[in-house]
Parts: sequence; structure tokens; C-alpha cells
Amino acid sequence: MRLPLVGLTTFVIGFAAVHFIALNALPGYIMSTARDRLAAGGIETHTWNMSPRVTPQTQTIVRPSPDLAYSLCLIDVSAGPVELAVPTWPEYGSLSIFDAYTDNIYAGSLDARQPDAPGIRRIIVALAGQAVEAEDGVDVVTVKKPEALALIRRLAPSQGLYDAAAALVPVSTCEPV
Amino acid sequence: MKLVSGLVGLLLGAALGLGAAAAAAGIVGSGARLGSAIYVNGWTSDWTIGSEAANPWTRASVARHGLLALTKEEAVYFARNTDDAGERLSEGCDYRVRGGAMPAQWWSVTLYNSESYLPDNTDNALSYDLTDAATGSDPANWFFDISPVSSASGNGWVSSRGAGDFDLTLRLYKPKADLIADPERTLQAPSIEKLGCGEAP
Repeated sequence: MRLPLVGLTTFVIGFAAVHFIALNALPGYIMSTARDRLAAGGIETHTWNMSPRVTPQTQTIVRPSPDLAYSLCLIDVSAGPVELAVPTWPEYGSLSIFDAYTDNIYAGSLDARQPDAPGIRRIIVALAGQAVEAEDGVDVVTVKKPEALALIRRLAPSQGLYDAAAALVPVSTCEPV
Repeated sequence: MKLVSGLVGLLLGAALGLGAAAAAAGIVGSGARLGSAIYVNGWTSDWTIGSEAANPWTRASVARHGLLALTKEEAVYFARNTDDAGERLSEGCDYRVRGGAMPAQWWSVTLYNSESYLPDNTDNALSYDLTDAATGSDPANWFFDISPVSSASGNGWVSSRGAGDFDLTLRLYKPKADLIADPERTLQAPSIEKLGCGEAP
């Protein structure tokens, strides 16, 4: 093989390999870093945490919506499945699960105006292969890695609605089955 | 000599590959999105956001600039960083955003700086949403102004103070099926008219 061709071939191999390895590793790294930052800020695993009302001064993640009230729970299913129970909301609301790769693997409505609104939305998050016994009306969400994150969004563009959303945190659960 | 040439090529390729990954994710620059891009009147989106179907470039970009984004069944996100004339949105200019009925249960338009954060001001005017449209004007024919200072007109206002170059995110929660199936025909995407420019901040 000619000299320039050797250099060009290894250049292409090096570019493609590092490019795709880095691209595929980035989401997991960013999610892990976000999780570490939340934990360092005092957020415990398997506990619902109400985020402060979104302002430029309180924002901790990119592109927060100032019209929504957020609550989050860090999940670790390495020791077994985790069950979440979350009350619905009179306006738009959702309960979503994000896996360790940042994928949104579940989203359930919390909007009490919907005809099929459950009153309290219940889901079980489990690692692939873990045995799960779920009652009727309980959604089962399977993750590939033990770490996941649950996020509640509730439309709350005023302080009064934010306070009402915050009042639902003590009656919400996120705990091992 | 071949060994040296191969090693140099490998190292150069690896360095450029890493840089290209950082650029695609938006760690350097604004990021690139390849694949399933959707364009409506200057607004862009990607229906694979948040899903396992997203390509590596989209996934890395969303992780950097839109972590915890929902899939299209729950919400869709459109972004835009230019006005109707194709010029970059900037704190130094004032704009009027106009729109109509949105094909979703609830929607909002929020301003972010070039780092994807809310601008560092205390104006309490960060977004305009369906609630504002319903109370301030007509949900089917609404408008609001973007400016670093509040207008005396009493129109809806989103503050760009402290934003520098910025972009807008249009969120559509619980989008209608028609929007997912045919966004170009279904979405009456908001226009962004430049009203004028003052002195650079």
C-alpha cells in the first residue's frame, strides 16, 4: 500500500471509531453527570423531590419550562423493582420515566380531565428479567440499566398552582416494591 | 515510514472524530441534527426526540440541549433562532411573534439563550402560552412581543434582557394525531417579525 493511502485509511478508521464511540457514550455520560449533580445537591434515591419554581436563578437543567412544576425521583432497581404512585392534576400533567441513556421510555397522563384518568397513576419500574407482580391498572416499565429517573410535569404557571402541585408530593410515592 | 504515516493518520482521525462528535452534540457550537428533521415556516423539530429511534447525532444533541425531552406522543418541540427575514434572533432587536390555534392540548413559547438556559434576568416574562393567549387576546389569533424592555402597549411580552443571541422553543403538549402525521399542513407555525433594533447591549 502506498504511503498516503496508509495514512488516509488509518485517518478514516480513527475518525469513524472515535466519532461513533463518543456519540454513543455522550447521552449516558450526560445523564450520569446530571444524576450525580442532583445527588450532590441532596436529592435522595427513591424520594419525590419538588424542584423550585423555574426561574433563571433556579434552573438546573437545560431548557426548563417556566410554566411547569417539576418533581423528580431518582430510581435504582438493582435491588428490585420500584413502584410509583402519583395523583392526577386538574390541568395538563404527565409522569415520565427516562432510562440511563436519556430515552423517554414511558409517559403516562396525569390530566384528570381525560376520560381514562386513573385518579392515581401507578407504575412499576423493573430491570429486564426481574419478576414483577402487577395489579390491574399498574403499568410495568422495563429498563436495561438499573438507574432511571422519574419526572412529573404539572401545568402550574402561577405561584398558587405551583404550591398546589407541591402539596401533592407528600402523597406521592416512589419506593421499592 | 508506513507505521509513522498510519499513526499520524489515526491520531488525526481520532482527534477530528472527537471534535465532530462534540460539534454534533452541541458541546461546541449549536449542534447538528441529521436525519428526521421537520421544517415548518422556519421552525425545526424531530419526531424521534426522546425515543430509542433517534439517531446517534440527534440523541447526543438532545442530551446536551434538551435533556428529559418527551417522545412525540406526549409532546413535540419546535425550535427557531431566526426571524422571518432569516436573520439571527438577538437581544439587540425587538420582535413580534404571531400565531393561531395550535393542534395540541396545551402549548407554550419560551426564550432561551445560546447555552439553552433561560436568560439571566428577573423580569418574570420568560414565556407565552395558551393561558396567556386565552386571557390576553384570541387563542386563534394571538401575538406577543419580544424585547429587552417591557412595552407600554400592554401586549404580551417575553423578555430578552440578558439573552444575547437567543432562540425560541415551541412546546406542544398532547399533540393531535394530524400534527404528527402531517406537520407541514397541520401546524400554523408562528411568524417572527422584526420590529426594529436598538443599540447593541
